Amino acid sequence: MDPQNLNAAELRRLIPSGLQWRSGVILVVALFLAVILWNLWFTVEPEEVGVVFRFGRYVREAPPGLNFKLPDPVESVIKVPVQRQLKEEFGYRTQLAGVQTRYTSNNFQNESLMLTGDLNVAVVEWSSQYRINDPYKYLVKVRDVRTTFREMNEAIMREVVGDRTVNDILTVGRQEVADEVKTRLQALCEQYDTGITVDQVVLQDVNPPDPVKPSFNEVNQAQQEREKMINQAKAEYNRIIPKARGQALQAIQQAEGYAMDRINRAKGDAKFFEFILEAYKRAPKVTKRRIYLETIDTIYPEIKHKVIVDDKVKGVLPLLSLGSEVKP
Amino acid sequence: MKYISTIVAIGIIIALSVVGGAFFIVDETQQVIVTQFGKPVGKPITTPGLHMKVPFIQNTNFFDKRFLAWDGDPNQIPTKDKRFIWVDTYARWRIADSLLFFQRLRDERRAHSRLDDILDGETRNAIAKHLLIELVRSANPEEQGKPGTLTIKFGREKLEQEVLKAASSRVMDLGIEILDFRFKRINYVEEVRKEVYARMISERKRIAEEYRSEGAGESARISGEKDRELKTITSEAYRKTQEIRGKANSQAADIYATAYNKDPEFYQFTRTMESFTKIMDDNTTLVMSTDGDLLKYLEGVK
Repeated sequence: MDPQNLNAAELRRLIPSGLQWRSGVILVVALFLAVILWNLWFTVEPEEVGVVFRFGRYVREAPPGLNFKLPDPVESVIKVPVQRQLKEEFGYRTQLAGVQTRYTSNNFQNESLMLTGDLNVAVVEWSSQYRINDPYKYLVKVRDVRTTFREMNEAIMREVVGDRTVNDILTVGRQEVADEVKTRLQALCEQYDTGITVDQVVLQDVNPPDPVKPSFNEVNQAQQEREKMINQAKAEYNRIIPKARGQALQAIQQAEGYAMDRINRAKGDAKFFEFILEAYKRAPKVTKRRIYLETIDTIYPEIKHKVIVDDKVKGVLPLLSLGSEVKP
Repeated sequence: MKYISTIVAIGIIIALSVVGGAFFIVDETQQVIVTQFGKPVGKPITTPGLHMKVPFIQNTNFFDKRFLAWDGDPNQIPTKDKRFIWVDTYARWRIADSLLFFQRLRDERRAHSRLDDILDGETRNAIAKHLLIELVRSANPEEQGKPGTLTIKFGREKLEQEVLKAASSRVMDLGIEILDFRFKRINYVEEVRKEVYARMISERKRIAEEYRSEGAGESARISGEKDRELKTITSEAYRKTQEIRGKANSQAADIYATAYNKDPEFYQFTRTMESFTKIMDDNTTLVMSTDGDLLKYLEGVK
């Protein structure tokens, strides 16, 4: 109740008719004092700070807890939550915060749709967390800090996104964008004397616009396909080349075996010949004769048809009836 | 008694209103111009605290001292390259000279309407004079000359500065100072957006095709490498085996030659004997003469 607003006429009506005028005055004074006393103290919550103004002029800041001040028209208090982290969301809104937070991004396309540096379009959703670090500036320097902060966010995000290609933003550049926005936002906060500090800028969903999404997926798919084709080719390579290497080694080993065989045989044959030759030299005629006869011995029994011709016997020819004896 | 109390009450009310009318509080956020019958009196009051004036005769006019918002109306504007875009701007301004402001505009509503005229107009001018890319980018990309990268001459920040400068000079005599001007949102209008989406889709398709063809190319390259390597391996192996075999044969020939050269005639004899065993089998018909070496004894020892 503001004592200034009570005028005498109203007071009259408030006082029951049976009471004396004097006691009425006492009641009014008591009420007046009560209001003033009530106005002498105030509490500041742990996360807040109380900014005290005397006749509109900033005088001091009151810490959390119980505080005293002069009654209302003289000193007034505005409490500012300096410790609380405040958050602004762009392109979406938290519908229901909890263990499983629900979001909605319908109807906020205006905030999130932006042009990229290659004149494409991207949908960027983000949130900015900030705190009030200078309650005086926060209250005194800028009208409607929150709206100002939102507008700064939108302008700066577009500025930063506008310097990057759509690919950068969707893939590698995310963190870079967030950092850059934070830095520039902080600078602008100081330029505007808002008295707030930006704690964090978090990029939420960064997407191509809905109609373009399938073709972006197609690119991912194509990328997979490329990997697949390369892997298949590599698999084929791995299937054939090591085997061929093994086979080549095998062939070489075989050839070496053949060489060994050939040389050893030659050496054996040579030695064999040399031994016989030595024996032959010791008794040439007999040995030659013996070898000849031994050979005949082995050959002749194999041959089934033998014809013996005697030059002295004439007319017996032809004894050879070719064809009948020679089996096909 | 009753009259007296009424008179006292009225007296108190009048006294209170006179005292109340003589004092006024100026906030940290406010500045005040005191007027007397509508005419400004003295300097504008900018220091916060309790101030006095002549009751009834003098009036107080409060103005804000803070940064004030101006939010541009989203507007459809064509750029120099004839692209239609939606542009949403914002500015921050303050009443720098409250006296001038009071004289020229009187209140914020009128100030806003003037700011609308001036800032919207300057925005329009700036945008119509430049290519779209100048509005989007504020710096040139690091890797220039790459296909798809567009370069700028001025850039977003310069354009914003341009608008700010042009507008500032026009609002100076209104007691207004524009502190900052920014393009908040720039978007394609609906029809252009569709075109852009189509372009984006075709661009993605192109990239996808590139990936696919890259995959096919790489796979072909690997396959070719495989063939080459295979041929290298097999031919190398063939060369080596032939070399080994040839060398072995030549060595063997040498060995044979050195041995047999010791007595070529005897070699011929033994080798012929060996051949006989191989040539003749049970199908052979042998015609032997009694004149021969073997059967000569058949006719009796001479």
